[in-house]
Amino acid sequence: MKKITNLKIDRRIRNVVIATGIGSVTTQLLTIREFLSQLNGNEFVIALILFNWLFIGGLGTHLAGLLSKNASVKRFYWISICLIILAPLQLIAIRVTRDLIFIHGSSIGFYPTFAYTLFSITPYSLLLGFFLPYSLIVIRNHIADYLGTRIYIFDNIGDISGGVLFSFILVYFTTPFQAVFIAHLPLLFALYRLYASAYNKKTPSFIGTILGITALIIAISIETPTLAPPSGELAYYQETPYGRIRIIKDQEQYTLIRNGRPVFSSQDFSAAEEVVHYPLSQIDSVRHVLMISAQSQMISEVKKYHPATIDYVEIDPAITDAEFRFGLLEKCPEMTVIHEDGRQYLKNTDKQYDAIILNLPEPDTFQINRFFTDRFFTIASQHLTKGGVLSFSVKGFDNYISDNELQKISSIYRTTCHVFKHVLLIPGNRIFFLCSDTPIKTNIDVLLENKNISTAYISGYYYGNITQERISRLNQQLISTGPINSDFSPHLVQILLDEWFSIFSTSPAFFVLILSIINIVYFLCISKEEFVLYTTGFFTMGAEILVIFAFQIFFGYIYLQIGLIITVFLAGLLPGAVYGQYLCEHGNKKILFFTDTALIILMLVFIGAISLFENQISGYAFLLFGFAVSSVCGCQFPVALHLQGGGRQAAVKMFSADLIGAAYGTLITSILLIPFAGILWSAAGLILLKITSLLIINMKK
Amino acid sequence: MKTVSRRQFLTYSAFTFAGSTLPGQALCAFTGKKQQSATVDISGTTFKKDAPDHPGKWSREADYYMTLPGDAVMCCICPQSCVLDQSDRSVCRSRVNINGKLYTLAYGNPCSVNTDPIEKKPLFHFKPATKALSIATTGCNFRCLNCQNWQISQAKPEDVRFYDLFPHQVIETALKKKVTSIAYTYSEPVTYYEYMMDTAKLAKQKGISNLWISNGYINPEPLSALCEVLDAANVNLKSFNNATYQKLNGGQLDPVLNTFKTLHDRGVHFEITTLVVPGYVDDEKMIKKMCHWIVNNLGPDHPLHFLRFFPQYKLDRLAPTPVSVLTNFRKIAMDTGIRYVYVGNVPEHEGNHTYCHQCGKLLIERKGYHIPINNIEKNKCRFCKSTIPGKWI
Repeated sequence: MKKITNLKIDRRIRNVVIATGIGSVTTQLLTIREFLSQLNGNEFVIALILFNWLFIGGLGTHLAGLLSKNASVKRFYWISICLIILAPLQLIAIRVTRDLIFIHGSSIGFYPTFAYTLFSITPYSLLLGFFLPYSLIVIRNHIADYLGTRIYIFDNIGDISGGVLFSFILVYFTTPFQAVFIAHLPLLFALYRLYASAYNKKTPSFIGTILGITALIIAISIETPTLAPPSGELAYYQETPYGRIRIIKDQEQYTLIRNGRPVFSSQDFSAAEEVVHYPLSQIDSVRHVLMISAQSQMISEVKKYHPATIDYVEIDPAITDAEFRFGLLEKCPEMTVIHEDGRQYLKNTDKQYDAIILNLPEPDTFQINRFFTDRFFTIASQHLTKGGVLSFSVKGFDNYISDNELQKISSIYRTTCHVFKHVLLIPGNRIFFLCSDTPIKTNIDVLLENKNISTAYISGYYYGNITQERISRLNQQLISTGPINSDFSPHLVQILLDEWFSIFSTSPAFFVLILSIINIVYFLCISKEEFVLYTTGFFTMGAEILVIFAFQIFFGYIYLQIGLIITVFLAGLLPGAVYGQYLCEHGNKKILFFTDTALIILMLVFIGAISLFENQISGYAFLLFGFAVSSVCGCQFPVALHLQGGGRQAAVKMFSADLIGAAYGTLITSILLIPFAGILWSAAGLILLKITSLLIINMKK
Repeated sequence: MKTVSRRQFLTYSAFTFAGSTLPGQALCAFTGKKQQSATVDISGTTFKKDAPDHPGKWSREADYYMTLPGDAVMCCICPQSCVLDQSDRSVCRSRVNINGKLYTLAYGNPCSVNTDPIEKKPLFHFKPATKALSIATTGCNFRCLNCQNWQISQAKPEDVRFYDLFPHQVIETALKKKVTSIAYTYSEPVTYYEYMMDTAKLAKQKGISNLWISNGYINPEPLSALCEVLDAANVNLKSFNNATYQKLNGGQLDPVLNTFKTLHDRGVHFEITTLVVPGYVDDEKMIKKMCHWIVNNLGPDHPLHFLRFFPQYKLDRLAPTPVSVLTNFRKIAMDTGIRYVYVGNVPEHEGNHTYCHQCGKLLIERKGYHIPINNIEKNKCRFCKSTIPGKWI
C-alpha cells in the first residue's frame, strides 16, 4: 500500500468533511420536512425531531471516542459511503413505515411520535455524530498535532453550503429524493478521490461509488410511488418551501392535502357556507371582502353577496395553483389573488374591508399564532369598515367543551374583546368567532332568508345544530380570567400543546423526568469547559428560535429571509472559530469569560430592542444579531478545546457538549420557555443560563 | 383481564424491531401491497387502583355483575366483561369496584344536556319534527378513533363539569321543555345503564318516549330489560368486518349483530347507522354482505343511514367520503331489499328524503331538520296506502 503524504490526506479528508456537511444538512432539513408530512406539525413535534437529531448526534460523537482505536482512512471511507446510503433510506423509511406501524389515517400521540422519530433517525444521526470526531482521529493518525478546531471549521463550511444549497435552490426545484441525490454528489466525488488516490486501488472505490449512486437513484425512482395514497389516486404533487402539497382524487372528489393532513375537499359545501355566511350575513352591504387562505367553494358563496372586490391572500402559490386547477376554488373577475403572508399584507395595505375572513389551521405553531394575538386583531380592526366583521374559527366540540378547549376559546375571546366591542362565539364542530364594533346577531338563518340568499346547510341545519341554548351556554361558560394571547406571550401555543396531550391521554411528565435525570447525570460528569459549551449550544439554539419567532411577528413568514437567518446563524460560527483559534494561539486565558459576557450583553440588547423599538427594528438587525451570537459561540469552541488540552478525547467531549446543549436548547426554548414565559422572559432565561456558566467558569477546580 | 392491549404490544414490538426490519417493510410498501394487520386491536384496558374510596352522591350499585373470589367483580353489562379487583375501574371508566361491590359513578350527573331535533339522532321514522331532550354522562366501552364526543366518551365522570340531574329531575326538565322524547346519547349509554333505566322507567310512566342512541355493545340480559322501556333506537353498525371493529373502534362485530337481532325480536323500532370511513368501511363487497345480513336477519323495514365521514379526533388524516360512494351504497342497499336507505351529512342529497317503498313517491321531504312535505297519514302512504314502518305521530 502506498503511503500518501500528510498534506494530501489533510486536504482529502477536509473535502470529505465539507461534502458531508452539505449532504447531512440537506438530509436533516429533508428529514424534518418528511416528518412534518407524517406527523402533527406542532412546535413540540418539531422540537422533538431536532432534539432527537442533535442528541443522537451527540451520542454518536461520544461513541467515536470509545470506538476509534483502529481508525483508518479505509474505514473512514466506508463510514462515509454508509452515510450516503442511509440518507435516502432514512427518508424512505419515514415515508413508508408510518402506515405499517400506525393505523392509516390516524394521528399519533407524543410517545409514539418520540419513538418513531428516534428510531427512524438513529442509524443516520448516530453515524453522522460519529463521523466528525472520527475524521479528526484519522487525520491525527497522520498529522499528530492537527488542530480539532480545523475540523469544526470545515464542518461549518459544509453545513453553511448545505443550508444555502437546500434553502435557496433545491427546495424550489427538486423533490426530496432528487435533493438528496444532488446534495450527496460532492461527497461521492470527494470519497472517490480520497480512496482512489490514497491507495491507488480503483476497485473498492468504484464499488463504494456505485453503491452510493445506486441507493440515491433507486430513491429517485420510487419518489412518486411512495407518495401515492392507499385509496384514490395522486392527482397533483408539489414540494414548496412551505411544505408538501398533494391533491388526492377519490371518485369525483378532490382533496387538498397539506403536509399529510386534509385541508379541504371539493365537496365541503357545509364548511364553505359556515365560513362565508356567518360573517357576511351580519353586513348590510358587502363590497370588499378579504380572505386570508381559503376554503373550498368559498368564492361561489361570497359571490352571492355581489361584492365589488374579493382579495384572496395565500402565502403559497402552489396552493392557489392546485385550487384553481382542480376546481376547488372558482376564478372570478372580482377576485385578486395575493401571494403574501396574510398578516404582513394587512399591515401594509391601506384598503378597508367589510369582512376579513381567516381560514387558518389551529394556532398550535408560532407561525399561525400570529393571527390570534391582540396585535393582529388590532391590525384587522383598523382595516374594517364601520360595521365590518372579522371572522375566524378554531376546532370546536359537539356536545361538551373540555377544560382545555374552554381555556383556548376563553383566551381568544379575551384577546378579541380587548379590540372589538362585540364578539360572538358560535358553537359547533368548529367554533366561529365573529368580531365587530356593531352588535352581532345570532339568527343567521333568518338573516340569510331576509337577504334572499339560499344555502343548503345553514337553511336546513342551523336551527337544530346551533340552538340559542347552545350559543348562550357556550358564551356563558367562557372563563373571564383566561390569559390574553399576545405576540410576545403566545399562551395559545401552550394551551394547544396541552390539548394535544389530552387527546392522547398522555403527559410529557415522564419524558421530562427522564431528560432531567440524563441532564443532571451529564452535568456531574463534565468539565467546566464542557459546561460552558453546553450552555453556549443551548443559548445559540434558543437565540435562533427567538430570532425566527420575533422576525415572523414583525415581518411575516417570509421563507427566504427565515432561511437567511438560519444561514447567518451557521455562518457566524466560521469567523468565530477562526478568531477563537487565533486567540488561543496568543494565550488569552479569559476568553471564555469575555465571550460569555458578550452573549449576555447581546441578549440584553435583543430584549431592549424589541421592547423599546418593536416595529422600527430593521430586518438586518436580526441578521446582525444572529451573526454576532453565532460568532461568539464559534469563538468559544477552539478556546474550550484548547483549555482541555486539545487531544482526541477533548475534541470528542467538546463536540458532544455542543450538540447536547443545542438539543436541550431547542426543546426547552420551543416547548417550555416561549409558550409559558413569552419571548422576553425566555431571553431572560437564556441570560440566566449564561450567568450560571460565568459563575462556573470563575469557580476554582 | 388485559393490561396491555394487543395494539400497544404490536406498536412497541414494531419499534423494537424497526431498525432491522425497515428495509423489508419498505420493500413491502413499494410492491403496492398494503399490510393490513388483522390483529390490530385498540380495545381499552381497565384502570388499576383508580376508584374513589367510597361511593359518592352520584354512585349507585350496578345492576349486572358477578362477584369473584378475593373481592373481585366482573361487570356483566357489556361484552368487555371487565374483571375488576378491589379499587379498579372499568374500561368504560364509569364502573368501579369498591369493597367488592360494583358501582356505577355515572348516575344523576350528566355532563351534556341539550334539546335536539329527533332527526339529528338520526331517527327518520320516529315522531318526525319533534324534539328530544338529549342527555349523556361520560364513558364509553369503545375507543373509536373518530369519536365525535371524545371529550366525554373518553373521560371519567368525576373529571368533567356536570349537572346535578337525577332521574326525576330529568323528567321534570323534559316536561318543562315540552319534548316528546328523552334520548340517551352522545357518549355510550350502556355505560350509564342504571341511570338510563331508572330515568326511562319514569319517562314511560309520563308518556315520554325513550330513545337509545348506541354502539350496541351490550350483553343480551341487560338489553332485554332495556327493551321493556325503549321506544326507539339508533344503533351504529360501524363495519361488517371484525378486524375493522378492532382497529378503529376497539370492539367486536358479533355482539353488535346480536343486539340488532334482540331489538328486532323484541319489536323495538330501530334504525341502523353506518359511518362510511374511506379506506375502511367503503368496500362495496362488505357493504353488500352487510345489507344481505340485514335483510335476512332483520327484514327490509329497518331504516339504514349511510353517513359521510369527516376527519375527526384521532382519525384526522383521511379525506371525507366522496358523495358518490354514499349514493352508490344507498343503491346497493336498496337493490338488496332494504326499503329505507338514507344518506347523512350531505345536505340536499336525494337520500335525505323518505320515498314510499311501494309506489316510490316522495313521502317526507327533509331540508335539514325542517320537514316541508309530509305525505304520511296514519302510518300509511297518502298515495298508495301502504303501511310505512315506524312511528309517525
